[in-house]
Amino acid sequence: MSNADVVARRNEAKGRGLVGWALLLILPILMVVMELAVFAAEPSVLSPRNVVNILNQSSYLLLFASAQMVVILTRGFDLSLGTTVSAISVASALAMTGLADSGAPDWVVVAAGLAAGLGFGALVGLFNGIFIAWLEINPFVVTLGSLNICLGLATTISGGRPVFNVPDAFSTLLYNGALIPGISIPLMLAVMVCVFLYFLLDHTVFGRSLYLIGNNPRAAHLAGLPSKRYLTLAYVTCSLLAAFGALMLTARTGSGEPNLGGSLMLESIAAAVIGGVSLQGGVGGIIPVILGSLFVTMLSNAMDLLRVGGYAQQILLGCVIIGAIFLDRIRVSRT
Amino acid sequence: MGGRTTSDLASTSSSDRLYRAYETVGFLPIVLVTLVAILALFVPHFLAVQNIFNVLRSSSYLVIMAAGQMLVLIVGGFDLSVGAVVALTSVSSAMVMAGLKDSLADEPGIIVFLGVAAGIGSGLAVGLINGLCVAFLRISPFMVTLGSMSIATGVALLLTNGIPVYGMPKVYVDAFGRGLWMQLPTAVYLAAVIVALVWVMQNFTRMGRYIFAIGGNLQAAIVSGVRTKTYLVLAYAICSVLASVSGLALTAQIGSGQAVISSQLTLESIAAAVIAGVSLKGGVGRVEMVTLAAFFLLILTDAMDLLKIDPRIQTIFLGIIVVLAVAVDEMAKRRTPVV
Repeated sequence: MSNADVVARRNEAKGRGLVGWALLLILPILMVVMELAVFAAEPSVLSPRNVVNILNQSSYLLLFASAQMVVILTRGFDLSLGTTVSAISVASALAMTGLADSGAPDWVVVAAGLAAGLGFGALVGLFNGIFIAWLEINPFVVTLGSLNICLGLATTISGGRPVFNVPDAFSTLLYNGALIPGISIPLMLAVMVCVFLYFLLDHTVFGRSLYLIGNNPRAAHLAGLPSKRYLTLAYVTCSLLAAFGALMLTARTGSGEPNLGGSLMLESIAAAVIGGVSLQGGVGGIIPVILGSLFVTMLSNAMDLLRVGGYAQQILLGCVIIGAIFLDRIRVSRT
Repeated sequence: MGGRTTSDLASTSSSDRLYRAYETVGFLPIVLVTLVAILALFVPHFLAVQNIFNVLRSSSYLVIMAAGQMLVLIVGGFDLSVGAVVALTSVSSAMVMAGLKDSLADEPGIIVFLGVAAGIGSGLAVGLINGLCVAFLRISPFMVTLGSMSIATGVALLLTNGIPVYGMPKVYVDAFGRGLWMQLPTAVYLAAVIVALVWVMQNFTRMGRYIFAIGGNLQAAIVSGVRTKTYLVLAYAICSVLASVSGLALTAQIGSGQAVISSQLTLESIAAAVIAGVSLKGGVGRVEMVTLAAFFLLILTDAMDLLKIDPRIQTIFLGIIVVLAVAVDEMAKRRTPVV
């Protein structure tokens, strides 16, 4: 990496110039234009109900994309995210239905479900992190391996069938309960995660170190940062966030689904990168992830309303991914 | 360290010689031979002719794809779209052949030719898009091929609505897809020819050396006057075309065009390349090793099938093996002193 490159990155990561801000607004502008264009054909897109719908939908993707962002910052990515979600959905559902059958009280059952899910997530994160940080194996290979392992686990322990009868208390807690009237639980949780990540990334040594590790691993090492420990911790954070999202999705469907994570891995990477998180590492944050997830959700919502078929949607999404990354390249080279 | 003197060489012990032999052939052939020996001893029917055929045939498809994947990895890229290209090729070739079935009923040769051309053409188109975006727009290969994967899969599904396409000429399916030449499945010859071509390309042509140079040190390659963009595009185009060839053979064997042909192919091709020691950082990779790695993966799968291990558990094993293989390789590399 050239010196100018580093300087440019640093400028982007810290204070943005006027041009930087204008370019940052490309995505919001695109979103507004898109919604207005769809509004002309299908006015219901801006109805309060649909807007609330978009916000709720995007909160799941937001979680997975922010999980992905934490490791993309360090020049890695997590291919296993989707199948981890599936495995956690099944594992937590099995833990809960098993306990519920034996007549345990509701709170024990729900606590066990949460513990099983988060524990499984932490394990996957540790596996990824240890192989990537300590054995220095490429993240692609390691997470490709854990992708297969989790896929196998998800289908084996469930027998390939959904696990039904997840207790209602669990769904109330993470999906349809009402803590604050008018705001859905998923949205509330997503906002909480955003605030948490904002502080983690911007106001802790660990968070700031992730940027340096991604930007210049050698410098991070020479600066005396415990890079390996932080890198491992980044993967654990990623998998824990994914686990949290998996629990929320399980609460929504009310069953443990062995295919729950199907397209999530690619969607989460796409949302993060469309928002402006760089796959070269060192550039990103929670705001780009929010923008990216909202954009992807709005796009598919608009296509749904315009009755674009699922297959055609897939084609369009592919074009949008390439287009968005191209815009991002221009942005980076301009700053 | 300076050069060894003759007396040094003469006094090298046999363990040293063994180690040097190991260094030249590498880790993989040894593992492969050991694996085959163990399986032959302990797994019933492993050496049955039918089983060997199955392994050879199914590894042929993977070998062809992995060879292409390897080229893209060597130039420091990635191709996530190969599986989608297989699906797109399968659908487009089958649709062209089925569409011409009635109007050209007496000319199966022309039908097959046009179908194959349509398949390879669609693969080439995807490869060119990938290569041009990576080389000229300088977009990350991961994202470009992620996008083109989505697009190609979408097109394949849109064309067929997910329904298999029947109606390919009988001769195509019977002679090419399921046929035997000199006792061996036709796909084996196809794979052998492609591996040989890639081997020659890698070892004896300017293009092969340029491809290594681009992945090894892009700046140095540019400064030395290599037309890096052209060769980058070429690498992606060849990769997609090889995926297409694999898709054609697979379609002929199945006997219908399928838009959901296999979701695992992309990851398997990358796994095979990586197990073969192809570096994800670019600049390193040999097609003969990739061939062995593809065999290794499929022999293992086959053995697990024979042992009646649940396919779901097989996935877990494969995941562990991919990580371990690379870990061991990495360890071995680090132990080798850098001279």
